[in-house]
Amino acid sequence: MKNRILYLCSLAFLAACTGIPENCSKGTDADIFPDYTDITVPVNIAPTNFLIQDNADRYLTILESGNRTVRVKGEKVRIPIRKWRKLTSQGNITVTVYEQKDGSWVRMNPFMINVADEIDSYLSYRVISALYESYNRLSINQRNLTNFKEKVVYANSMASKGEDTQCINCHSFKNWRTDNMQFHIRQYLGGTIMYRNGKLQKLNLKTDSTLSAAVYPSWHPTHDYIAYSNNKTMQNFHTSHTNRIEVFDEFSDLILYNLADNSVSIIENDPDEFECYPSWSPDGKTLFYVSANLGSLKEANRKNSTIIANSNGTFKYSLYAKDFDPDTRTWGKKRMFYDAAALDSSITWPRVSPDGRWLLCCLSTHGVFPPNQDVSDLIIFDLKNGTRRYADELNSSKSESYHTWSSNGKWVVISSRREDGLHTRPYFAHLNSDGTFTKPFMLPQKDPEFMRKFMYSFNIPEFTIEPVRVSARKLASFVKSTDASPVSFEQKRGE
Amino acid sequence: MAKTRWIPPVVLCVLLFFISHEFIYGVEEKSLFVYDLFWLKDFLCKPSGILSCCSMFFIQFLHIPWLGTLIWIILLILSAELTRIVYRIPVSLSALAYIPAAIFVSYNMSVGYAIYLITLQGFFFIPVLGYLWALLTVVVLRKFRNPVRLAILFVIWGFAGYYVAGFYSLAGIVAACVDTMFSDRSRSCRLAALAGTVIPLLLAPVAFLGTTTYNLSNGWIIGLPEKDFGIAPLKMQFPLMLAMALAVIAPMYKFLSRLSSRKAPMIIQTAALALFIAIPSVFWFRDDTFKAESGMIHAANNQEWKEAVDIFEELQSKHADDPTWQPTRVLVLLKDLALIKTGQESERSYSFENGSRMQNNDCIVPMSFQIGKILYLNYGLPGICNRWCSEETVLFGRNYMTYKYQSIIAILFNDTNLSREYLNILKKTLFYRKWAIEQLKLCDNPGLTAQTKPYDTILQLMCYDDIITSDSEGCESFLARHFNGPKPRRATPLYDRVALFFAMDSKDSDLFWARFMAFLDSNPASTVGKYYRQAAYLFSVINKSSTLETLPFDDTTKELFSEFMEKAFKVGNVSLEEARQAFPANLRHTYYFYFYYVNELQMF
Repeated sequence: MKNRILYLCSLAFLAACTGIPENCSKGTDADIFPDYTDITVPVNIAPTNFLIQDNADRYLTILESGNRTVRVKGEKVRIPIRKWRKLTSQGNITVTVYEQKDGSWVRMNPFMINVADEIDSYLSYRVISALYESYNRLSINQRNLTNFKEKVVYANSMASKGEDTQCINCHSFKNWRTDNMQFHIRQYLGGTIMYRNGKLQKLNLKTDSTLSAAVYPSWHPTHDYIAYSNNKTMQNFHTSHTNRIEVFDEFSDLILYNLADNSVSIIENDPDEFECYPSWSPDGKTLFYVSANLGSLKEANRKNSTIIANSNGTFKYSLYAKDFDPDTRTWGKKRMFYDAAALDSSITWPRVSPDGRWLLCCLSTHGVFPPNQDVSDLIIFDLKNGTRRYADELNSSKSESYHTWSSNGKWVVISSRREDGLHTRPYFAHLNSDGTFTKPFMLPQKDPEFMRKFMYSFNIPEFTIEPVRVSARKLASFVKSTDASPVSFEQKRGE
Repeated sequence: MAKTRWIPPVVLCVLLFFISHEFIYGVEEKSLFVYDLFWLKDFLCKPSGILSCCSMFFIQFLHIPWLGTLIWIILLILSAELTRIVYRIPVSLSALAYIPAAIFVSYNMSVGYAIYLITLQGFFFIPVLGYLWALLTVVVLRKFRNPVRLAILFVIWGFAGYYVAGFYSLAGIVAACVDTMFSDRSRSCRLAALAGTVIPLLLAPVAFLGTTTYNLSNGWIIGLPEKDFGIAPLKMQFPLMLAMALAVIAPMYKFLSRLSSRKAPMIIQTAALALFIAIPSVFWFRDDTFKAESGMIHAANNQEWKEAVDIFEELQSKHADDPTWQPTRVLVLLKDLALIKTGQESERSYSFENGSRMQNNDCIVPMSFQIGKILYLNYGLPGICNRWCSEETVLFGRNYMTYKYQSIIAILFNDTNLSREYLNILKKTLFYRKWAIEQLKLCDNPGLTAQTKPYDTILQLMCYDDIITSDSEGCESFLARHFNGPKPRRATPLYDRVALFFAMDSKDSDLFWARFMAFLDSNPASTVGKYYRQAAYLFSVINKSSTLETLPFDDTTKELFSEFMEKAFKVGNVSLEEARQAFPANLRHTYYFYFYYVNELQMF
């Protein structure tokens, strides 16, 4: 009896030490935002702070990993970064939420935060208002994924003057490093800003022999080339549909920019084809891209045809591959990789994993710009055994679009509108060895309510292993003081 | 002379009764103040963001126009009286201290249509608050007599103040420097002030570049309106620069009282009083069309459609004696929408004057920015409405109305999470909280939406198949294209009514008959109002149609047509203005008159 009392006292003392409420009743699953239940996170990610959305008088959250325990009071669970580091270093974390209602505590079902491989430390994205043609506040930001620090890489407000505004887009890095990066500025003081080994350049990639300025870059992994597409892009609006906006091309071709001799050459420019989204394989010997055929519509007015085809959802892109010899800069013949159009779908944004095994793409019903289409989902190809499947574990009822692999190929970041159907948020998922992914989780924020209140989208998330090396101020000063220099045009080699 | 000191504050108080509430509503509706640190942080991270924020705090009280304007007038009087006290301006010259206030009044009251194009958030209270900050700068920096401390404080205050109030703070630093120069302080103090002024004046805008994202070339005027969409920057910036220049030279006013001539102060005071009254009188934007447009927009934003029609009617009656008077397209389109909303279009639509008078405006305001979201939402085109809410948000900042409209759209689309996001923002505002809470109930019970105003009628007009399109041709032409297009398979009685209305406007006989038959199919015969009957009779006569015999036209319709045609033969083919003078009201306010004489309207 004495021992039992002593044991109970010890338990009570321990409970008091750890702050675990006594005499809890068993509850259901805690309703938390963002949904971080049973996710897998990189060992070096910032704390996955969350908000408990259940109505209760008091809240207590216990995070346990190995011999470490962290207690956080309140509905906003903000985990101190040092304590979080200690937790993740111990392995998987068990999270238990306690809620006090009418004086009695309820122990909600615990959930797991599994800890896996490291992720690249930085994520760059464009911060943009959803759905518009105007652009007064637009910036490329870089977030340190290991903490909550974010900095502006470049903002259009730094050079815009009243009505003279800029659109900025397509920030891109070579091999996840920032010594070679680029982004485009359209309209006022426009040009492609190229940062190479400490030197800045502003280029006009439009030549007399190409359709337009370059867009959608893909850095060649081993040589000094960038594949781009040339697009004449338009936007139209849905009268009453949750998709709200449709972005499509009137023309598009593919070009190759050779950084060494400052020249561009054509990769593909079939007048009846709309080639877009070039993306290199990791060895740089194959270029994946998508293309749609104008088909029977070509006889009619081209602009109207593309508008009609996109309006009625008949404009569909298929996936192609094209061999390339980077040393001689010669191209092989294009070959159909996945005939999505024949399957009544449209495929976009091919991205091959760094090990060359997996190819992740967007698949939707039509068109070239899936972020605005609720039906857009991710599809994964196994390049080793030639199979493909919808990455259902990544998909939701809303749009999933732009995705990037981390440098170690263990993580992907995807752009999803699953939260509210309008604002794109970055989600991360771990690639398992069998080609499946873990449950995606939203980019952690210091204030867990941030993503509910931040009325901007995170667009084009790109991993880097290091911070951007040039300051926003220096970039702005360069943009304002430099005219875009022309590039020469070179005939295509090979085929 | 001392008695004259009461004239400026009294005049400012009297202004309360002259400020158009319609304009004031517009200022308030295009602003936003959210009681949430998250929202505030967005402003706190940029120079003069605090000033914008404070201004928007005060702007929210313009929701009750007399209250908001009273606060504004109090601040204006405060700024003038503090100027007088700080600079020790003698009572006999007190009117001098009120000239900046007069400039601020004229600046705000001259904005007019530019209200739809200003990108500076919180423009209404910013000048007076910025001016008060500049005065505070002078007061604080005057307290130090040690040259070293003074120089250090000038620099610290200069940088910190720039963060708070941008341009106004830089002006305040210069004013403090001038104040020191004209004070009895030592020469070393004066040198310290000069040095302490130059450093922040040159470097403050550069210092914040690392942490914020403004264009350095705008750094010295941050807090002033930018070059916005065709508004001459000088028009928007010069008055404020002038007001601040007066604050800078105010330390010299005290010398005026020492003038040898006894009459001099009296002459100066009289001149200042004249200026004080003249400046707002000259620049005050008085335009009854703008006032009516603003009033109708406010009414439409609140779904008070009868009020909107009344405003149009009142304006029209004011100009009853002027045969050349025409309404603007904004007025006509809002009036038509209001008539449809109140179910009066078939009985009243052509009883109002029509026209396409240009707005009294030196900058072109796209109709989409002014009333696009009202028209598109209420005509059942939420996607296009959302587009203009987004454009407005991006160009001019978020405001109560864009959030309100986007909440409604999200509810219509059953985007519950998105509507909650918008409504939770409005829930944290002072005057839209109640509305937001009401709408949140619909998020919990989406089934109620179709029975709730204004969703019911909007949903009834969303009976067509979604299309991808653009309104690049302008709001009015786009709406006509939409309603004059193929009839939706799921057309509702309301849709048929609106489509008939647009068909009548188009004067296309075939279209009219198609729409008229559709209307008769879906709506009770009792709703065939007088203008529908007039149109049917007119097109029957023109087409020599057999319907003339089969349709039960009443005698009034026929008699009026005969009377009209008789008069028309006499008057002949004349311009709209001439026809207005020639035709009596009963014939002018007919569909026949619209069909024959209202031509070549300029659409926007």
